[in-house]
Amino acid sequence: MTDATIVLSSALALPGVLLLLCLFPSVRARMPKFAVIAPVPALAAAWFAGRDPSIVFATHFFQGHLALDVAGALLLAAAAILWICAGLYAATEMRRSRNAGNFSAWWLTAMLGNFGVVMSADIASFYLFLAAGTIGAYGMIMHTMTPDARRASVTYIGFALAGEASILIGLVLLAAASPGHSLLIRDAVAGLSPSPWRDLTVAFLALGFGLKIGLAPLHIWMPLAYTAAPISAAAVLSGAAVKAGVIGLIRFMPFDAGSVNVGTGLAMAGIVSTFYGVAVGITRANPKTILACSSISQMGVIATLIGVGLATANAGVAIAAAFYGAHHVLVKGGLFLAAGIGVSDRRNRWLVFVPATVLAFALAGLPFTGGYLAKEAVKPFIGEGAFAIFAALSAAGTTLLMLFFVTRLGSASHDPRGTPTASGLLVPWLATAFFAIAIPWLSLSLTDAIPISEVNSIADLWSAIWPILIGGGLVALWLNQKRQPREIDVASAADIIRRMMTICTSTVERAEAILRQWQAGSISLLAVTTVLIVIIATGR
Amino acid sequence: MIADAATSLDAASTHGYLLVLAIVVPVGGVLIATAVGGRTAERTAFAVIAAGLILGFAILLDVWMTSRPLAYVLGNWAAPLGITLRADGISAVMLVTTALIIAATALYACADFTIPRDGLEARAPFVFWVLLLAVWAALNTVFLSGDLFNLYVALELLTFAAVPLVALSGRAEAITAALRYLLFALAGSIFYLLGVALLYGAYGTLDIILLHQRIRPELAVSLAVAMMTAGLLAKTALFPLHFWLPPAHAGAPPAASAILSALVVKGSFFLIIRIWFDVLPGSRSLAAAQVLGVMGAAAILFGSIVAFRQARLKLLIAYSTVAQIGYLFLLFPLVVGFEGSPWSATAWTGGWIQLVSHAFAKAAMFMAAGLIAQALGHDRIDDLGGVARALPLTVLAFAISGISLMGVPPSGGLIAGAYVIRVMTRMLGPRLELPTLSVKVDRWRQSLPLSLAICAMLLGLLPLQSLELLQVGLPHFLGSAGR
Repeated sequence: MTDATIVLSSALALPGVLLLLCLFPSVRARMPKFAVIAPVPALAAAWFAGRDPSIVFATHFFQGHLALDVAGALLLAAAAILWICAGLYAATEMRRSRNAGNFSAWWLTAMLGNFGVVMSADIASFYLFLAAGTIGAYGMIMHTMTPDARRASVTYIGFALAGEASILIGLVLLAAASPGHSLLIRDAVAGLSPSPWRDLTVAFLALGFGLKIGLAPLHIWMPLAYTAAPISAAAVLSGAAVKAGVIGLIRFMPFDAGSVNVGTGLAMAGIVSTFYGVAVGITRANPKTILACSSISQMGVIATLIGVGLATANAGVAIAAAFYGAHHVLVKGGLFLAAGIGVSDRRNRWLVFVPATVLAFALAGLPFTGGYLAKEAVKPFIGEGAFAIFAALSAAGTTLLMLFFVTRLGSASHDPRGTPTASGLLVPWLATAFFAIAIPWLSLSLTDAIPISEVNSIADLWSAIWPILIGGGLVALWLNQKRQPREIDVASAADIIRRMMTICTSTVERAEAILRQWQAGSISLLAVTTVLIVIIATGR
Repeated sequence: MIADAATSLDAASTHGYLLVLAIVVPVGGVLIATAVGGRTAERTAFAVIAAGLILGFAILLDVWMTSRPLAYVLGNWAAPLGITLRADGISAVMLVTTALIIAATALYACADFTIPRDGLEARAPFVFWVLLLAVWAALNTVFLSGDLFNLYVALELLTFAAVPLVALSGRAEAITAALRYLLFALAGSIFYLLGVALLYGAYGTLDIILLHQRIRPELAVSLAVAMMTAGLLAKTALFPLHFWLPPAHAGAPPAASAILSALVVKGSFFLIIRIWFDVLPGSRSLAAAQVLGVMGAAAILFGSIVAFRQARLKLLIAYSTVAQIGYLFLLFPLVVGFEGSPWSATAWTGGWIQLVSHAFAKAAMFMAAGLIAQALGHDRIDDLGGVARALPLTVLAFAISGISLMGVPPSGGLIAGAYVIRVMTRMLGPRLELPTLSVKVDRWRQSLPLSLAICAMLLGLLPLQSLELLQVGLPHFLGSAGR
């Protein structure tokens, strides 16, 4: 056993063992506290792999392969830090919950799926961990068992399973085209170019992963799910778990060979999502819903980036997307924690307000924040030429939406007495906010794999600042409108889908009532016999 | 390979007597139990189960070690005249599966069907133990028979043993369900028998190996195969011929439902496989195989959706059987369509693993549902809240078998996932107070469905390519794969 084997497998083993311990009710009750340390080995793995990108190893059980490259290490590090901080938050948040132990079991399942997806090097493990992540997320969204939570969890699982079905079709086509039936993702993707099914395979995968990251119009589940889930769950789902789709796109899109059709489609969907998320978000009242809409927008940026890379056969977008994604992990996760704490506690309100405002600007790419680096990393692909306008508009839109979020944070102080905020909530939030700013700089100094041009000309800084000023102006105009933001009704589309499904299933049930009758049974028997006779006798 | 089988047939295998015992022991059990009655019925059943398990594993071991089918010629009368028994790879696997599930069901049924000590026999327990052995005898005959008429007899025996199991509770709706089952199964038998008669008229033999050598592609064969297949489809309850199955399987007592859903429908399915892959010569009709595949796919969609809409747990499981039967028929287009390529063997192995794992999972599910219904006094899905805390092992068994049913995405996996998740959500859901249990359920009884469910799950770890056992004694249609 090499060191890499120990480090990588323990990253999955610790959450796995803790999950198994959940079988014992006495341990399960205390699991919210233990679960805080579960991501520590994953953080260590990301540290080691990020420093030495050549680590690859294969376990001998069931031909599963795990590996971690720099892109994976970036996302894994950010995800592990968020899981630790949000875990601390959850330990306080779940103190009064009757079902805290169950919540931890779902939490660990989702964590296992999240880490496993990032580390999987073969198709079968990837799919397995993807499914584990989905199931864990489903359980967490359902946790409060309110009607809203039930509706959100059912919508989520419906969309997620549809997405996974699409991914599975893609994976099966991929495996079938793989040379020598190798199940390693790298081999399979590299062997895809001669396949006649290439564009179809890539399209199924892109559709499935697009659904996972909430690309419009497949985003319906996202605001519902993040609004209904407990704060800590919404933080890890929006921050870490949603990156399963990003890592899927990074791993499975054939950047070397490229695919103009799918790439263009993905980029178009990404551009639409980028602005759609902003447009919907500024009409919402609930800070959690606004953050969910911002996720749609931010994932749109990543999809645009990957789509452009795919259309122009530029493999460089992979690391840029991972870097951009890693920054989003911590910012979005942190802002959810802030939304959970709120500003009702007068003494500590600045500890929420100020860092939240900084993170809001960071997401828009304010210079010297991590978000600026993230924007710089994607600039060579979607920041120049015709895309410069897209980049500027998206930054302006993000500023508008995030400042709107900060104002909603202030107006949502529903507790006039100002109950003091527990330090068990405040500390994780401040830690996440710190890492959200620090991690991009830290990773930049640790590895030279991230290509970022030297930043020093005033023109560069100005090109990052003016969209933010426009966004700031827009938010002032928007708030002056005195429009009443609406409570959540994003659900209407989901309800239409649900109603359609109900109609379909009840139609099937009515058909079954007909088939249950004797006459129908006898006629079917004769019909089946006739069909078989005709086909066997003539159709050789 | 058919030639191998023929030579071994003439010589009859050294351990061929095992095959006779595999049929004679349960038949003897039926006779003893009927004749002596009382508590002896139950004891006889357990003695037969012990012997049957040993016989099943002995046959499996022999076929596995020698990689040749076992054969026995009754009274040394050679094939066209006499009767031959034959166990190839798939028969051996089915014998063991059947023995294991019958054993687990019998242990499970002890509590429900105990014959009281005072010797006064009650109708239901007595009938149950006798019928359990009769079903077993019929199934073993189906798996081992080498000629089509013998198979017809076995099939009828299977139907006549299974129908009273449905009616065991004596309630009006159970008897209605049993009669529907009986009449439709008899219609199926008539179609099968017509096909047998056609083949006999054309070739003068019903021995599978001799038929395989003599058969030519002509109208009589097409007619015969189509009618036999259709008749057997009716007995297997493939969509749209499934209408008798849900009320029958949901109305029977849990132990009987487990046997019916896990094993009895597989008997007629096994026979379709025999006809398609052992009787028919080389070129099978891909178009007909695709018809079976389409019906299978429709069954998956239809059965899963209707299962999702059910209000009662046992009906939900019964409709899930309708869907799972659909999966079995996907084997036909896959194996026939890939004939000669390595994928054919993979599809064949996959189909059989699916069959065996469904047998374990479905038996486990019905047993678990039975325990839940017994403990709560109802099986309404919407009122199952809190069961997970009252019967943790049972709910775990249900979850594991559910997961093993979900295993084959995308389409069915998705919908199967939906209905399993719906039930699990209810079971795991909180409730302010624990549900009141009307009956206490022993932990060891809870562990029976759990162990079957774990068996079903572990089957998923078998490597798809390397199961040569399943190909022992088959005509060489699978290509060179798997070696």
